[in-house]
Amino acid sequence: MILLLVLFIPLAAALLVLSFRDPRMVAGSALVAGALEVVAIGIAAWNIHLKGVVQAGRYLRADGLTSFFLINLGLITALVLIYSAGYMRHVPEGRFSSLRWFYALVFFFLFTMVAVYLSANLGMMWICVEATTLASALLVGFYNTEGSVEAGWKYLVVCTVGIAFALFGTIVFYLAAVKGGVGSESALDWSSLMNAASGLAAKHDLLKLAFVFVAIGYGTKIGFVPMHSWLPDAHAEAPSPISAMLSAVLLNCALYALLRFDAIISHAIGGWFSHTLLLIFGGFSVTVASLLMIVQRDLKRLLAYSSIEHLGIVAIGIGVGGSLGLFGALLHTFNHSIAKTLLFFTAGNVRENLGTLRMERIRGMARSLPWTGGALVLGTLALAGLPPFGLFVSEFMIFMAAFSATHYFIAFLMLAAISVVFGALLYHFQHMLTGEAERPAARTGLRVFEFATIAICAACLLALGLHIPAALTALLRGALAVIQ
Amino acid sequence: MAIDILQVLLLILIAPLVRGVVARLKARIQNRRGASIFRPYSDLAKLFRKEDMVPSTASFIFRLAPMALFAVTVIAAAFFPVLRGSALLGTTGDFFILVYLFALGRFLLMLGAMDGGSSFGGMGASREALVSTLAEVPLLLALVALGMVSHTASIAKMVLWTTGQDFFQLSAVHALALAAMVLAAIAETGRIPVDNPTTHLELTMIHEAMILEYSGPSLALIEWASAVKLTGLMALLIGLFFPWGIAAAFSLPMLILALVLWIAKLGALAIALALVECSVAKLRMYLVPDFLGVASALAILAVVFTALMR
Amino acid sequence: MGLFETEAAKALASSAVFLFMTVLLIAAAKRISTCIVMFSAQSVVLVLQVLAVAHMRHSKEAYAVAGLVLIVKAAAIPYALFRIVDALKAPHDVSASTTSSQSVFIAAGLILLSFFAVQPYAGVLGVDEAMLAAAVALVLAGGFLMVSRKKALMQVVGLLVLDNGIFLAALATTFGMPLVIEIGVVFDLLMGVFLMGLFVFRIRDTFEHLDVSKLRRLRG
Repeated sequence: MILLLVLFIPLAAALLVLSFRDPRMVAGSALVAGALEVVAIGIAAWNIHLKGVVQAGRYLRADGLTSFFLINLGLITALVLIYSAGYMRHVPEGRFSSLRWFYALVFFFLFTMVAVYLSANLGMMWICVEATTLASALLVGFYNTEGSVEAGWKYLVVCTVGIAFALFGTIVFYLAAVKGGVGSESALDWSSLMNAASGLAAKHDLLKLAFVFVAIGYGTKIGFVPMHSWLPDAHAEAPSPISAMLSAVLLNCALYALLRFDAIISHAIGGWFSHTLLLIFGGFSVTVASLLMIVQRDLKRLLAYSSIEHLGIVAIGIGVGGSLGLFGALLHTFNHSIAKTLLFFTAGNVRENLGTLRMERIRGMARSLPWTGGALVLGTLALAGLPPFGLFVSEFMIFMAAFSATHYFIAFLMLAAISVVFGALLYHFQHMLTGEAERPAARTGLRVFEFATIAICAACLLALGLHIPAALTALLRGALAVIQ
Repeated sequence: MAIDILQVLLLILIAPLVRGVVARLKARIQNRRGASIFRPYSDLAKLFRKEDMVPSTASFIFRLAPMALFAVTVIAAAFFPVLRGSALLGTTGDFFILVYLFALGRFLLMLGAMDGGSSFGGMGASREALVSTLAEVPLLLALVALGMVSHTASIAKMVLWTTGQDFFQLSAVHALALAAMVLAAIAETGRIPVDNPTTHLELTMIHEAMILEYSGPSLALIEWASAVKLTGLMALLIGLFFPWGIAAAFSLPMLILALVLWIAKLGALAIALALVECSVAKLRMYLVPDFLGVASALAILAVVFTALMR
Repeated sequence: MGLFETEAAKALASSAVFLFMTVLLIAAAKRISTCIVMFSAQSVVLVLQVLAVAHMRHSKEAYAVAGLVLIVKAAAIPYALFRIVDALKAPHDVSASTTSSQSVFIAAGLILLSFFAVQPYAGVLGVDEAMLAAAVALVLAGGFLMVSRKKALMQVVGLLVLDNGIFLAALATTFGMPLVIEIGVVFDLLMGVFLMGLFVFRIRDTFEHLDVSKLRRLRG
């Protein structure tokens, strides 16, 4: 029951928002609906904590992994909605580009992502991941400028092609399951597949083939190199709250899908094949992304490449395996989403105050926009993986796991990439913060809602860096228990 | 033997009728009334009664070319099985001979055109050389592919082999070869979209340019030869791809049935040709090599497929 | 009943030929409308194949899938694409970066490649080699269309052909997935085409052309 609520509140909110005309009513109802959704997610997570697994019908299922990612989704959505209420006040009028369409599309997007998390069926999961692409395409192209349209088109086409490969992988998985003795009605049901995993071991050729296609397909949505070409464009051209959602929760959503497949394969034929593939993708991602970050000129593109790099680190974490690696990887998705949200919100503020996001044109922010500059410094330090912020803890865990599993090369690669990223970020932000401001800022600093959301993010990052709260640990342990 | 001679005569005599039917169909599709389908016969009769006008600068080649062309085309017609699975001159490897007979005929016509001395003749000859060189590859390769599939090297035996196949078991080789041969046949016989047989505009003539200087009986022979070539290629297509219904034995009812079926199939092809000619525009000259390149690709794929679809 | 079943099996095996022909024709096509018609023909062939499978396995679900594919892929999507082409008022040229004969050669090469790629797996998967090769050929041809055609609408057509290939692969290996999944996949495709159509109009309005090879502002 609660699962149906969690799933359908966003859909109802989307339709509700579309029926209003007055922007204040629209924003107000969006905030109320968002609050309701967050409460529903909290109740669902509590239920899952009590019962272990909650199932609603044949196609909806929630377990520990689901609740972890749902909490992540709820937190980021709440922050994004509060931020959007203030940020998206002046929106260009056009087809599908009004304020009520913005919120409607955000809620449709939310609906599809919740559907991914709640899918019990691998085929259903595919359908919902494709639906997230469709729901967010209009959000990426929201501003209707040349760059947005190009980014939206590229996003739509590249991700649809990639997801088509994931469909093929799903089909081969289905085939392997059917040939491995699972009945054809439940051959796509995740829990049935997990239970019958040992029986699938005979079909290891098919499973490996399937996983390759699934990794390529869902990897396109996660942003693994070399399928990442859509990511910098889409995340840079979207409105800042949408960029935050894309980087923080959509990438996690696709990762969730990949994790489900990885769990089945690890239980069936052992994790060597799938984890090696993930290590390869992760290694390429961190290397290429860190190198490309040096030459970036646009602030949001820089942040997008940072997302690629961090999801590469997550892939490495899953790839090295073991409890520690997996724990670190999941924790890193959580930390990264908060840090990325913080930075994208700050970028939005920079855009509003200085009118541009080209880093070479931004100078002297420390003096002209002290609070914004401070937030930027905070975010940069967090993103580079420095203590006392949360990303340091998760990256360190992944390191330890890599060393204990003797994956020395990949650990070295990760360390080198993080160092390069640190250098690049320092170079770019030092350039932006010091020196004389070229032109006076249009407005000074952060407004209330921006300050509030950014402060919440910063506080979370600090808290996670110092001590992981028991609730989060419980969530993570629950998630781990599902996969292992 | 007698039947085979009858086949050749049938092809030669029915050729102008085929042209007339196609022209009438095109007229009907274009909402005109069109001339009678027997008009080509009366045209031929008219031309045979008229005098042959020869340019003063022409040599004996000019006068010899039409007769040689007609002779070559009649010999080529003796290779096509129509009513039975055999042809008058059918031997092993006869499809090579067929392609080169067509080439010989074309060569003679080009010589005659250039000998005529007008610039149109030279221009038509050079264009025809380009088109025919490119059209030879798909035609030959498609026949080779069919030969490889049927393990024979004679057109008549290929037809017999095809009759023994199941109609519902589509063969990729046959589909590709059919496509390649249709495109090549369009180029060989000079129909739209490669060449317009009814035009006299300088930019669009290929075959017409070559025969511009001819008149009287020479022109009649050339027109008849071109009609025989068209009918022959249509008979080739029917025989290689849709031969069911040909007479297996010598009995008269079977032969009559075979004749009726063959006429029906010829009619269907004529309708298809008329439809294509009315709905597609003629290609500009620089696009014709591209068109024939597509045909070549299809023919090459047909040959490769003989190894794949075992 | 038995007679039709053997005919159905034979028709299924030879239908791969039609799909190869559509691949070659779509590579050779010079106008967008020809490509859309070829895609529609491909979908019709797929529907016939699904019907043959439904007949052979006496599966009601497969009949429903056949009807769905017929309505959506063979009728609705081509109709929508034709409406978009008309509304765009753009030249019907395909803007290919390779000539017609080069494209056919490449498509022929892709078909051969798909045969070679499928050979080691045909025995393992227990399927008709020709059908699986046709599926891979459709996927590769769709990819080739997307890469070599510069019109935005042609990228949509290439994506649809690619999706047809994956559908055929599903049909060939597993004789179809559960009905709900098939409905969801087709619905996703429909929404995808709708959104891509929307974006094509936006590209036309913002850029005043429809050439995706000129969308190179965002780089690096």
